[in-house]
Amino acid sequence: MNRRSRALWVAAIFAYVFLYAPLVIVVAYSFNDSRLNAEWVGFTLSWYGKLFHNEKMLKAAWNSLLIGVTASAVSTVFGTMAGYAMYRFKMRLLPLLILAPIAIPEILMGVSLLIFFVLLNISLGMISIVLSHIAFCIGFVAIVVRSRLAGMDESLTEAARDLGATPWKAFQLVTLPLIMPGVIAGALMAFTLSIDDFVITFFTAGVGSTTLPLQIYTMVKIAVTPEVNAISTLLMMLTLALILIASKLSPGSLRAE
Amino acid sequence: MRRLLSLLLIASLPALAADELHLYNWNDYVAPEAVKSFEAQCKCKVVQDFYGDNEELVAKLAAGAKGYDVMVPTSNYVAGMAKAGWLQPLDKKKLPNFKNLMPTYLNTDFDPGNKYSVPYAMSITLIGYNDLKMRELGITVDSWAVIFDPKILQKIKGKVTVLDSQAEVMAAALKYLGYSVNDRDPAHWKQAKETILKAKPYWAAFMAQGYIKELSTGNIWVVHGYSNDIFQADTGAQEAKQKFRIRHALPKEGAVLALDAMVIAKTAPRPDLAHQFINFMLEGKNSAALTNITGSGNPNAEAMQFIKPEIKSIKAVFPDAESAKRLEQLKDMNKKERQLLNKIWTEIKAK
Repeated sequence: MNRRSRALWVAAIFAYVFLYAPLVIVVAYSFNDSRLNAEWVGFTLSWYGKLFHNEKMLKAAWNSLLIGVTASAVSTVFGTMAGYAMYRFKMRLLPLLILAPIAIPEILMGVSLLIFFVLLNISLGMISIVLSHIAFCIGFVAIVVRSRLAGMDESLTEAARDLGATPWKAFQLVTLPLIMPGVIAGALMAFTLSIDDFVITFFTAGVGSTTLPLQIYTMVKIAVTPEVNAISTLLMMLTLALILIASKLSPGSLRAE
Repeated sequence: MRRLLSLLLIASLPALAADELHLYNWNDYVAPEAVKSFEAQCKCKVVQDFYGDNEELVAKLAAGAKGYDVMVPTSNYVAGMAKAGWLQPLDKKKLPNFKNLMPTYLNTDFDPGNKYSVPYAMSITLIGYNDLKMRELGITVDSWAVIFDPKILQKIKGKVTVLDSQAEVMAAALKYLGYSVNDRDPAHWKQAKETILKAKPYWAAFMAQGYIKELSTGNIWVVHGYSNDIFQADTGAQEAKQKFRIRHALPKEGAVLALDAMVIAKTAPRPDLAHQFINFMLEGKNSAALTNITGSGNPNAEAMQFIKPEIKSIKAVFPDAESAKRLEQLKDMNKKERQLLNKIWTEIKAK
């Protein structure tokens, strides 16, 4: 190993420690037997036990899951359609419209959605949150699907058309199965984005729709107990599992091209 | 997909159901057992949402959010909220337990005659300290001098934190100098600034939250902080089986009081349940439940008999009538005053 590659290794290790050490600490302290969690007192599983009896926390987690599943399902359908349209018709305006919500600062989107909902007299709550999440997830799905389409052999669809398939049949039987890994990866991405979104959710949340990130954030006033570490650990595991599944299904879609 | 949507609809339906009270509150700021017994009594469900700061509550309401019945802002926000037309006047006939409240905490400038608000719980911005260290060093903690007097500070250099809040630090300095926390005289402000600058080299940091852990681990010995936080720090120190305890000290010059109050939204879907809830929370036992969990101050006279003795004995949080007189609530500033304070604060932070 020459000197330069050793330096690169050291830099890489530092970067990974910087990224992952805080996460490891969060997980480790979810087993700490101290409410204040200031220093290590002893090992316990009691925070997980408490968590499963904490109605507020469970309700918030349920809300988050419900919003995540619905928003990712709907945005996957629309995102796939958008990705396909962008690939097929080389439009100019559509990519801009689709990608803008990704580029716009979240706080701006949150405020403008809030004003929009109030203006239309849509009561704030689960539905307004789901609609907002769909809005910002579509773009991410569209990008993943489009990159998958770009790597597809177009002659396959043409062959199907030659053999007498209608455009819809050709899409259904040839294109869709081929891009399916991209679609699924996009759906998972939308799900993870939705489940840990704070800023937009904060603005569009209403009565009875506290999500997990909102719940954790507002615990600051009295005390953040290791229950937060426990639920964060579970959330981290869920997110990690989803990313692993996504990368298995569509290795290309999560890599830079 | 359609199934998902209908699932979502079903999930959001209870929000429209008849017997629900919507409480918009600080997180963990109502005792779970009190909520349970209220639900049993009213045969309704309490749906809770949370905010982390008064500003968030105001931002939400300003944008036109509806559907909340009861909210719990800090008193100095009540005037503004009432003026904006977000609150409805309380029907005192439906609040027979209003009489349980101590007169000291009623009829404040923010809500004359308590037309809109009912005191709920409070915290006092005071001094928290490590009793063992203070005993060793022979320092008596009974005055803001512990935070501001260089003669005392030199013994505890680097072991002191103050709140990262311009209003609170300024108020403490003004109190130390013998002025009101709401004093707006620029000359007095200048004096306060100089006092702060003289003390600052001895402070370890401006801290908004972190001091709870620093106190309980023994890294920091004296803090300017909120009484609830200092209670948490003491609980933490005991859990970790430290040799010291963290104590509250109410400075003899007086201190800032933050009184959180229950209000009913103008657009409340269920004002009847809202009144019922407020009245319920004013019962001594239910009011005490929160204090027993968080160590918060309590404006309810009937609650005292239900509060744990070890909490009730903290004189700083349960001041006698004489000390209570020296507590002041922060008032809003006008734009010019705020700008001046911002400038002073920048100078303080920069030095």
